[in-house]
Amino acid sequence: MTAEAARAAATGAGPQLDLSVDLGRGLVLPNPIGVASGTFGYGFEFAQLIDIQRLGCIWTKGTTLHALAGNAPPRVAETAGGMLNSIGLQNPGVEHVAAVYAPQFAAWRVPVVVNVAAGEIGDYVAVVRRLDGVPGVAGIELNISCPNIAHGLDFGRDPTAAARVVEAVRAVTALALTVKLSPNVTDIAGVAAAVEAAGADAVSAVNTYVGMKVHLGIRAPVLPRGTGGLSGPAIKPLALAAVAAVRGAVSIPVVGVGGIRSAEDALEFFVAGADAVQVGTANFADPGAAIGVLDGVVAYANRQGLRRLTELRWRTALS
Amino acid sequence: MTLAALPQSDLARARGERGAVTGMERLRGGIVELTVRLPHLAAHARPGEFAQLRCAPGIVPLLRRPMSVAWVEEDRCGFVFEVVGEGTARLAALHPGDELDVLGPLGVGFTLPPPGTSLLCVSGGLGCAPFPLLGRRALEAGADRVVVLNGAATAERLYPAARFARGDARVEVREATDDGTRGHHGRVTELVLAALRDGPSVLAACGPNPMLAALASVLEQTGDGRLPFVCEASLEAPMGCGFGTCLGCALPVRARRDDVDPAWALCCRDGPVMAVERVDWAALRALPSAAVA
Repeated sequence: MTAEAARAAATGAGPQLDLSVDLGRGLVLPNPIGVASGTFGYGFEFAQLIDIQRLGCIWTKGTTLHALAGNAPPRVAETAGGMLNSIGLQNPGVEHVAAVYAPQFAAWRVPVVVNVAAGEIGDYVAVVRRLDGVPGVAGIELNISCPNIAHGLDFGRDPTAAARVVEAVRAVTALALTVKLSPNVTDIAGVAAAVEAAGADAVSAVNTYVGMKVHLGIRAPVLPRGTGGLSGPAIKPLALAAVAAVRGAVSIPVVGVGGIRSAEDALEFFVAGADAVQVGTANFADPGAAIGVLDGVVAYANRQGLRRLTELRWRTALS
Repeated sequence: MTLAALPQSDLARARGERGAVTGMERLRGGIVELTVRLPHLAAHARPGEFAQLRCAPGIVPLLRRPMSVAWVEEDRCGFVFEVVGEGTARLAALHPGDELDVLGPLGVGFTLPPPGTSLLCVSGGLGCAPFPLLGRRALEAGADRVVVLNGAATAERLYPAARFARGDARVEVREATDDGTRGHHGRVTELVLAALRDGPSVLAACGPNPMLAALASVLEQTGDGRLPFVCEASLEAPMGCGFGTCLGCALPVRARRDDVDPAWALCCRDGPVMAVERVDWAALRALPSAAVA
């Protein structure tokens, strides 16, 4: 059996269905269903609960130059059809990820893309430089838009600032570079076009929306910092609109993310213009959510006689 | 660096399972006791560990609700709670025959007392939940006696004493109510010093975080020489996943767990049961109550 046939057998794809997704510079996902940064840790908990090897990709927790302890609790608050989080990028720092976690990633078949966050360009560069060439690190996803850290610029809100980060990082890595876009902007398509021009191999859309939950009893927001990042099914229509807008502005692959919990949700993102998707918050309520999405997408594609999921794409570009 | 530096969630016994509701009882004071046929959880849950209960098939509520396994009989598990919001309202509306989707067991439970020694449980309100199972397992493991100090706002809101004992005469329940309608008139923590004179080897506490903080003060004032060898508390925090991934349920701890988690422990992964001396009670007191989220 060829490697490709083995992969097809593992995903249940029919003979004519090609699920692979090329995110650039040698990063080829075996299938387009992955898991979103911040909802899957570094994969170690889920490896005990589900068959992570069937996933198309693991996008890790946001990783910074130095370890971060995270924000004071409460850090999560449930909302109608969604949740707010203000974790504050708690992570062990890039050295720990590169030295201790990456050797584990290297033993997995599933590609692991490390999500990288920072407050300044120099730190982005330092983190990516440390990860470049490390076995087990399949690519980089740049988080230019975490709403929950106080210091530094929010690079994701401005096309010029976003491009500067991408250019600086591009110069120090040969790894596939995906840029995760902030939806908290007036023109997400403009930011997408700017990061493509600066050397991004792909974009993912979208990160969480800034939101607030208020508790009338304490006459204050539930989260101590006031706002947090909204995720979950509540944001799916917003994320679909963002993906369609981004699709119309770039020619690089678009990874769709926002409120996906079923195969139907994922298929809608392919219609809107995604090349791959990330299952996020749904992993918390159902650790098997992403596997269920994969099985459902493959069954649909086989029923429909699709050769590639991009055949689902809506042809009218939004821009 | 070693593999010990990898995240430490032990999920080897955790499994998703669906089971039929076999009992739904509404006790006085708004206490609900739910019984579900869950063979895996029943066979594997240790006292103080919890399960994540799916409240509804749709997207409201989106997240599961963590519940201690209150007791186990054959292949059935009991859960004890009160309706505080949308999730618990959905759970309280279940009927026998309905299916419930459960993930567990999760978290770290209580230490069992060595054979021939006694166990002291301190319960505040719905903090009663883990103690029927803990008492049973402690006696099975050779403990000679279990004393439960059970406190609540009113007599009506006390979990019934017979439900802690579940027919075992070696379980003694002493009650306290804030309004004096039953037992000691005052806080349950006021019963602790007298109970410590019996020389329990393990003290296990569960209740609202402020009650646990008050207990920690009592224990601090008592002094090390007169304390049980093990003092543990089961804490609460708003949870996203329940298995150590989302990092949402942070609790302040005194000692560094390792260089990866300098200030916080996770309620779901490092708890819910933690050594009393490990928790930073002053910092915990300063936080909004878990009920806010």
